[in-house]
Amino acid sequence: MTMFDHGQPTYAEVNRDVLSSMLETGPRYWMLLGTTMTIAGVCFFMPWIYQLIVGVGAAGMNRNALWGTYLSNFIFWIGLSHSGTLLSAVLHITNSQWRKSIYRSAEAMTLFSLMTAALFVMVHVGRLWFVHWSFPIPNPMGLWPNFRSPLMFDVMAITTYLTASSIFIYMGSVPDFAAVRDVSTGIRRRLYTVFSFGWRGTAREWHTLGAAYMFFAVFVIPLAVSVHSIVSWDFALSIVPGLHHTIFAPYFVCGAIYSGTAGIVTVMYMLRKFMNFERYIGEKHLDYLGKLLLVLSMLWTYINILELFTTWYSGTSFEMEALDFRMFGFYAPLYWEMILFCAFVPLLMLFRKIRLSWNKMLVVSILINIGMLTERFIIVATSQPRKFLPDAFGFYFPSWIEFSITFGSFAIFTTLFLIFIKWVPAVSIYEVKETLKPLRRDA
Amino acid sequence: MAVLATFRYEEDFLAGAERVKTAGIGRISLMSPVPLEAAQEVLGLEKSPVRRFSLAGAIIGAVAGFAMAVATALVFILPTGGRAIISVPPYLVIAYEMTILLGVLFTLVGFHIVSGLPAWRDRPYAPESNIDRFVVVVEGAAETDALRAETILREAGAEETRRVEDGQ
Amino acid sequence: MRSEVDMSNVLDKLREYSKPGYYDEFDYHWTMTIDLDRCTGCEACVVACQAENNLPIVGEERYAEAREIKWIRIERYWEGEFPDVKLNFIPMLCQHCDEAPCETACPVFATYHNQDGLNTQIYNRCIGTRTCAVYCPYEVRYFNWFTYTWDEPLEQQLNPDVSVREKGVMEKCTFCIQRIRMAKDNAKDDGRRRVRDGEVVPACVQSCPTEAMSFGDSNDPDSKVSQVMNSPRGYKVLEELNTVPSVIYLKKVHDDV
Repeated sequence: MTMFDHGQPTYAEVNRDVLSSMLETGPRYWMLLGTTMTIAGVCFFMPWIYQLIVGVGAAGMNRNALWGTYLSNFIFWIGLSHSGTLLSAVLHITNSQWRKSIYRSAEAMTLFSLMTAALFVMVHVGRLWFVHWSFPIPNPMGLWPNFRSPLMFDVMAITTYLTASSIFIYMGSVPDFAAVRDVSTGIRRRLYTVFSFGWRGTAREWHTLGAAYMFFAVFVIPLAVSVHSIVSWDFALSIVPGLHHTIFAPYFVCGAIYSGTAGIVTVMYMLRKFMNFERYIGEKHLDYLGKLLLVLSMLWTYINILELFTTWYSGTSFEMEALDFRMFGFYAPLYWEMILFCAFVPLLMLFRKIRLSWNKMLVVSILINIGMLTERFIIVATSQPRKFLPDAFGFYFPSWIEFSITFGSFAIFTTLFLIFIKWVPAVSIYEVKETLKPLRRDA
Repeated sequence: MAVLATFRYEEDFLAGAERVKTAGIGRISLMSPVPLEAAQEVLGLEKSPVRRFSLAGAIIGAVAGFAMAVATALVFILPTGGRAIISVPPYLVIAYEMTILLGVLFTLVGFHIVSGLPAWRDRPYAPESNIDRFVVVVEGAAETDALRAETILREAGAEETRRVEDGQ
Repeated sequence: MRSEVDMSNVLDKLREYSKPGYYDEFDYHWTMTIDLDRCTGCEACVVACQAENNLPIVGEERYAEAREIKWIRIERYWEGEFPDVKLNFIPMLCQHCDEAPCETACPVFATYHNQDGLNTQIYNRCIGTRTCAVYCPYEVRYFNWFTYTWDEPLEQQLNPDVSVREKGVMEKCTFCIQRIRMAKDNAKDDGRRRVRDGEVVPACVQSCPTEAMSFGDSNDPDSKVSQVMNSPRGYKVLEELNTVPSVIYLKKVHDDV
């Protein structure tokens, strides 16, 4: 079965189509980029600067609820980053052909959501100006970080993930940078000569790249799994009721891949729609991604039920109280919204008709990510304000600054992605060519 | 002096490469728009030595990660939460992440060393080889050898052959 | 700090460092007892703490936002239905747990356990991730959401022995570490090896009108605190969490029991 809905392109057409998406820029692009940059500046950076001046008190957190949307958004963005690189790596080592036209933008999604997530750490901490103390680099305190801290695992994991996924996407793009170099002139040519390392596509270069790329893929898979496990340990290694669960690591990893895959569907829709990649991103991809989402949604539902079940079965009063507040307390509507969007709506994808419709899949994928965003919020907002001592029970509601920064973070992600599609071929040229039948004299 | 022969079809390209290789003329590079295992076989490329870098990086990373955590704890004896100064489980997490970090970085270094990239200098290159043509390059051939190579390659079905300066 | 590793007994050292808890015995094991039977909930301790430790007055608005900073607070628990109600008070302060959940959480060692069994908080190192406070089951860690200032002439009453914290820093009860420090210095000046029982009195203990609280070194079996803590009424709050608190409460005895 072919990957292409509209007939198979030739090698030269692949180059032309992909490069033109990169090199030909209409006014609509600039308008969109200007809008997202403005939103990012006004909704994210300005409130953040205000918060830096007055203190984190600008957000809605208080003495009982010390973690808020900044942290829940951090988990959300880390989660969104989980599908791209992981899926790409898994499909690469299993030699799946359908990966090849979508993986580049999926990996870019990983990279940019990871950057957004890292920004949220900066927004979260009380003294941003000292945040480098949490890295094992010399500092004026003369003191290195505490490697026994779950947050330190996080620092190590995210640094590694950011490094590894940048290298992964960069190395996969080197031959395509060479293709850009070959068609451009002037400063762009010189720039891409540097980017492409002087790539010529010789058998030796391909051979080395293939080997290195395979190793990157092999390293990235256990890394991605560990990253979200470690993020979950920020919660699970506490003794807070509602957070202290062993199920948290698989729960977070599964949720992350789930939300990331939904994110890929959304991004694919946009690329297809606005970048004219209809020819390369076809129904086949949608069908496969839909099936993957379906499986992940069921896994997610299963783990969710298990979490409730083990809590209920333990019968500990603290845990029961946390469970009760989560399911029937103030944030109960959000909880049930999450169940609806993440457990029931995805079941629609059982129907082939829905799996093959771009518009319906767009709606489903966005609903899933709304559900996942609230899931993270619920985890943060319903557990740690209500721990053990009833007299110290608190309540958390985000302030307008947090709403604004949350909204702005989507603009940051979009801005980064928009910049990406003009600098890096969003569809891998050489790998799409690999899926094409080779040219034969008799053909 | 380098000879550059452009092929339209993969099988001609492979046949030409094979023949030049057998004739033993100069240094051969085979440029193609997609990775071709057959071309790598012609050149007799076996398992890439990159894997040694990856292994070394991973091992060094694991040891260094654990050692860094232990050393930090020993230099600053700051007991926390009733845990041991050298508590193995958390340090294994650090070691795990460092294994991957150094594994990836060493693989990157290995790629650069093995492939000889970055090479930001003029080397024989045909831009169409990055689009839809297959190119055989014979470098470092004397005049007679270059002629011989051109004949062989044209016989194999090269669309065109041209001569360029050798790469430095 | 024992940072020099003697090469001759590296293995011994390694064994020592691999031991859970690290400390065999604390130099002093500062312990507090609070007799709930004597506590009237007058909040004198809260005020004394405020004055001693330069706690900011956050104001009505911030208080409503639940952002007050009270290193010791009086928790109130009502028992029974109106009109037949009983009110119970529990002063809640940092329990200086020997196995504190908060300490492991900090990525920058801003909180650690010192040789006196104190859970210390080093303001200068804090980067404000607030993880320690989330991990604390007693919710006795307080965050500086803003930089608080003292209107003139109130800044004149600040205690010079205690630093004033800026925004983005976590703080909590220190068992009046400045007074412990001073008592140790005095002992040293007098040529004594150890601090005498009763020499260190934290502000809250000092101010308690009913003498519900006592403070001292539980390593010393003759100290007042050692005797009080062995009362059959003694218990630790949330002991089942295995945090090993250093604050021992004495149960309230009801007439009807």
